[in-house]
Amino acid sequence: MARRLRKRRREFCGRTRRAFLWEAGMGLGGVALASMLYRDGYARSPRDPEASPRTANPLAPKPPHFAPRARQVIFLYMYGGPSHIDTFDYKPAMKGMDGKTVRVKTFGRAGRRNQGRIVETPFRFRRYGESGQWVSEIFPHLATCVDDIAFVKSMTADSPIHGSAMLQMNSGRILSGSPALGSWVNYGLGSENENLPGFVVMLDPRGGPISGAKNWSSGYMPASYQATVLRSRGEPILNLAPPAGMTDAVQRDLLGTLREYNEQHARAHGGDRELAARIASYELAYQMQMSAPEAVDLSQETAATHKLYGTDNPRCRVFARQCLLARRLVERGVRFVQLYSGGAHNDDNWDAHTDIVKNHTLHAGETDQPIAALLKDLKQRGMLDETLVIWGGEFGRQPTAEYAKGTGRDHNAYGFTMWLAGGGIRGGVSYGATDELGSAAVENRCHVKQIHATILHLLGLDPNRLSFPFQGLDQKLVGVEPVEPIRAIMHESHA
Amino acid sequence: MLLPIALNAQTPRAETKATPDAVASNPAREDPALARLFENRVAPLLRQHCLKCHGQEESLRGGLSLVSREDVLRGGDSGPAVDLKTPGESLLLEAVHYDSFEMPPDGKLKDEEIAIFERWVRSGLPWTPGAERSSRRAEDNGMQERLEAAAHHWAYQPIANSVPPFVDSDRISTPIDAFILRRLHDKGLSLAPEADKATLLRRVYYSVTGLPPSPSDVRTFLADDAPDAWERVVDRLLASPQYGEHWARHWLDLVRFAETNSYERDAAKPFAWRYRDYVIRSFNSDKPYDQFIREQLAGDEIDPRSDDALIATGFYRLGIWDDEPVDREQALYDQLDDIVATTGQVFLGINIGCARCHEHKIDPIPQEDYYRFLAFFNGITPYGIRDAKSVERFSVRPLPSASHKGTTSKDDRVLCVTEVGSRPRPTHVLIRGSAAARGKPVTPGFPQILGGADATLTPAAEGAASCGRRRILADWIASPDNPLTARVIVNRIWQYHFGKGLVRTPSDFGVSSPPPTHPELLDYLAGELIAGGWRLKRIHRMILLSSVYRASSSIDPKAQSIDPSNELFGRFPSRRLEAESIRDSILAVRGDLNLQMGGPSVFTKMPAAVLAGQSRPGSGWGKSPVDQQVRRTIYIHVKRSLVVPIVAAFDGADTDTSCPSRFVSTQPTQALLMLNSDFLQESSRRFAADLRRCVGDNEEALVCAGLWRVLQRPPSRKEVERGLAFLRRMVQQHGVGEARALQYYCLLLLNLNEFVYIH
Repeated sequence: MARRLRKRRREFCGRTRRAFLWEAGMGLGGVALASMLYRDGYARSPRDPEASPRTANPLAPKPPHFAPRARQVIFLYMYGGPSHIDTFDYKPAMKGMDGKTVRVKTFGRAGRRNQGRIVETPFRFRRYGESGQWVSEIFPHLATCVDDIAFVKSMTADSPIHGSAMLQMNSGRILSGSPALGSWVNYGLGSENENLPGFVVMLDPRGGPISGAKNWSSGYMPASYQATVLRSRGEPILNLAPPAGMTDAVQRDLLGTLREYNEQHARAHGGDRELAARIASYELAYQMQMSAPEAVDLSQETAATHKLYGTDNPRCRVFARQCLLARRLVERGVRFVQLYSGGAHNDDNWDAHTDIVKNHTLHAGETDQPIAALLKDLKQRGMLDETLVIWGGEFGRQPTAEYAKGTGRDHNAYGFTMWLAGGGIRGGVSYGATDELGSAAVENRCHVKQIHATILHLLGLDPNRLSFPFQGLDQKLVGVEPVEPIRAIMHESHA
Repeated sequence: MLLPIALNAQTPRAETKATPDAVASNPAREDPALARLFENRVAPLLRQHCLKCHGQEESLRGGLSLVSREDVLRGGDSGPAVDLKTPGESLLLEAVHYDSFEMPPDGKLKDEEIAIFERWVRSGLPWTPGAERSSRRAEDNGMQERLEAAAHHWAYQPIANSVPPFVDSDRISTPIDAFILRRLHDKGLSLAPEADKATLLRRVYYSVTGLPPSPSDVRTFLADDAPDAWERVVDRLLASPQYGEHWARHWLDLVRFAETNSYERDAAKPFAWRYRDYVIRSFNSDKPYDQFIREQLAGDEIDPRSDDALIATGFYRLGIWDDEPVDREQALYDQLDDIVATTGQVFLGINIGCARCHEHKIDPIPQEDYYRFLAFFNGITPYGIRDAKSVERFSVRPLPSASHKGTTSKDDRVLCVTEVGSRPRPTHVLIRGSAAARGKPVTPGFPQILGGADATLTPAAEGAASCGRRRILADWIASPDNPLTARVIVNRIWQYHFGKGLVRTPSDFGVSSPPPTHPELLDYLAGELIAGGWRLKRIHRMILLSSVYRASSSIDPKAQSIDPSNELFGRFPSRRLEAESIRDSILAVRGDLNLQMGGPSVFTKMPAAVLAGQSRPGSGWGKSPVDQQVRRTIYIHVKRSLVVPIVAAFDGADTDTSCPSRFVSTQPTQALLMLNSDFLQESSRRFAADLRRCVGDNEEALVCAGLWRVLQRPPSRKEVERGLAFLRRMVQQHGVGEARALQYYCLLLLNLNEFVYIH
């Protein structure tokens, strides 16, 4: 089991939270403050949001449907669509075909085509690990981790356009308006650390992804389930720091006086749980002010750890800090962390429309060492078993060139690769396959929904049962039709 | 022997004939295992994926029927579906493998399902006649039964002529009280006593205008002992322009109002603000609700010379729009689905959208009903095609008044619906909702649960701008005979005043919705609405003047034990203010709320950290002059991918779909925003400065005035003392300057629970 950091932080106005609750409870005429007590395990929170929608703490820990393998998720989102045939999906049959025009159906931002000029991968591939997984030369560090990784090489998605494809990867649907995967996970399981957000997103400093906050929105679910954007430098969370010049003593005095007013008011409206919950939320906010800076304080890490991640390596230090932060967050009970490699537009992310070498060398170089370090670090701390790590983008790329000249590739949703590690995943496995050009998945085709189903399943949630009532339907992340998780990549005991 | 299948046996269709040998050797008759293969594995697949296109004689696709072994062997326009001499090369197998045809068209079957077809064909096509249809009939029967059962569902019954019951009580102020008191008395309960005057004033201000009363409003009302003091306040507030702004916000939640399209570009919708202003105007002028419906659904067809009627049809253009869809045809149906679903939920309280891909799972809404309903809208052009120019071409028109005057200003234009012309697109049932899989053709008609009549269409004149179908739908919805329309809107009015409706699911009056807690009251209000010419202010007035509305929110132990969730409305339910009211109140309290009405939306200062989440930070977000940034929240630009933080934090409506009721979440990030955000810092600074400007430097006067502003009642001695002690500690213990100390106190005041809750 991972070492979990559950140190008591400084208490609110010198009282423990439980004492505070006790007094608040007594102050309110002894009415049980169910919404807060859930957090302390005194009472079970119903999963049904309709049960008491106005009072239940939406992020209270909830029991899974069955025994989970993973407790938390780190989703390494390679925004823009990394090319599968230049990373993990080796295509020896393409050797020597460079420049040849072949008949192949493709569908990308440039529309549908029936033929194209082959761009042979410019990268060397080798087999790695005891399991002999193929990895391109742009991932020398990650290549040493393949025995912990399951590659799904037959991914398909419904859209080859960034906007809608990203929405599908993040929320299950190509239409705007549904809750993000991280929202679903927090809705299903709650959060284990009330002093930190349960769903955290870290962005590439070059910019957010296309559609911005829609990618981590809680859609039709309450705002409590949307992601909090966490920055790796400066104020980590929006509005976390007290105003300039306000000392801790002043803030505590202010909060204490505020509570006196609020308790007097609550007594006059005896028994109103919402008022009590709002009083408590100020105490929790104060706790968050204390906890979040500690969680992101990388100076607590050893020099060896920094070196492992590459926080001093100019090439990859940004993503290195984010990967290290991701580990610290899951260590502290944050349920779902999503990191974006790549931001903004064009070659600022994996969207290699013009030059595959330049683009992928850059983005792989920025992430290879940090991701490998994350897997190794989680493993050595005994956390990999319960942390599910996912790598992938919204789609892959075509085997043929997009333009008359150059090595750029257009989008490809017919076939691409994602990988998973830890959290009940069987390492050293490749599942499914694309055709010999990598143009489309042909063997054991997997849809994005199955990745979602797999994630939920490993977290102990039945993807076909986890539902949220909205507009007369029990909405599900995986949609109406039942979806099977990809059992072939799970440890047998769990499949 | 041959077993003719009743559905289609008589009809000769294809020239090709199956060989008698092959037909004779149905292996299912020899081998029970093969019979089971067909019955248990193949037949369900046929039913699920094939028979909708290849099952009914009148609408066979490609001339191919798959309802009997003979039909399969006979084949369709492309020849036999299965040739038993070379089963491996059968067209049917090619199609499911997506080798030649791609069947089913809405998505390749799973590998294991394809394997079942393989096994079936290679085993010589075993068939148990009738098995392919048996459970299909059962499904139909299920729907039929549900339709029959639903015929008795309360919501589909005509609105009853409901008479207020006799109740012996001195609390009867309006007929509403009789209905509520009757139920309370039946349970041995009574209505909570009337709330104190200051509480009432605050309640009704927020209920009607979404804004707090000023301290002088409170003083005047507290001093007014005339018997009609309350009535005069209610009438004054209903006549104030802020009423329209507040109630327009409720409506904008319902119609998924936003001013951008979502997706990658999230581009701005031109002139969407005119629709917002139209709604405000409509509420303020107490426009009859039936007219309000007609204008939004068919204003262009009803009154093409009226600006407002055309602006109202912006209703159709408010939804999300993917300018770069994977499949353009499918995307058109996604837009129509948004219109069908929103129209059904908002005006009728039915979730017809659930029947897009299949029969509704719960409500008696067959899939065909969905497409008949969609057919009313199937003349509407898409919002645009790819670029802004196309949006202008399809969705922007000059204001009628401007065209009459001959002015050509680019500003005198409107976001509105347009149609392809006098002849709409043909409408088909789309199998599993897939635009590529057209089933039976349908014509416009009303849902079966509401009579199921076909629309009486009069062909539009050649060259007409639209086919005129929407007007027929609008008239049907806005009819006093429609059992849902009036009930749905009066329930919403009740909901927004009391925090919850008489029907708890305000956009779903279907068979699975909880029945109304007071069905007679619901019908009474609906009847009154219609009788009063569909004017909403009359209903507001009846509610606001009732003793039920004026009851205290205090919790009585006996009532609490018998009616813990206040189903009977024995007390007024306390509630937190909506996000917009919280922000507007902060501006009001700090003294610089700008009540200017209408016009293009404004941009408030957005924290850089929030902009950083965009792929092009800052794009699509402008900068407004300072005095514009302090206008009411309803005038802030609604950008789908970039929501104003305070609105997002306090559960503002999600704009991608209709939002019938908002969540009320309580979370620490709200407290962080209220304590630390730039907006609150700025607000507490201005609040303090304005207090000093108004009352001078006397600390007690400052504290007192500050409390008055946020509590809207006379503060108690203790509350003032506590404030004074806080200021003293700030200066003496913490070494904070006097100005800063007052600012901190103002920050504290803005965080009081009493400031954001009404009781």
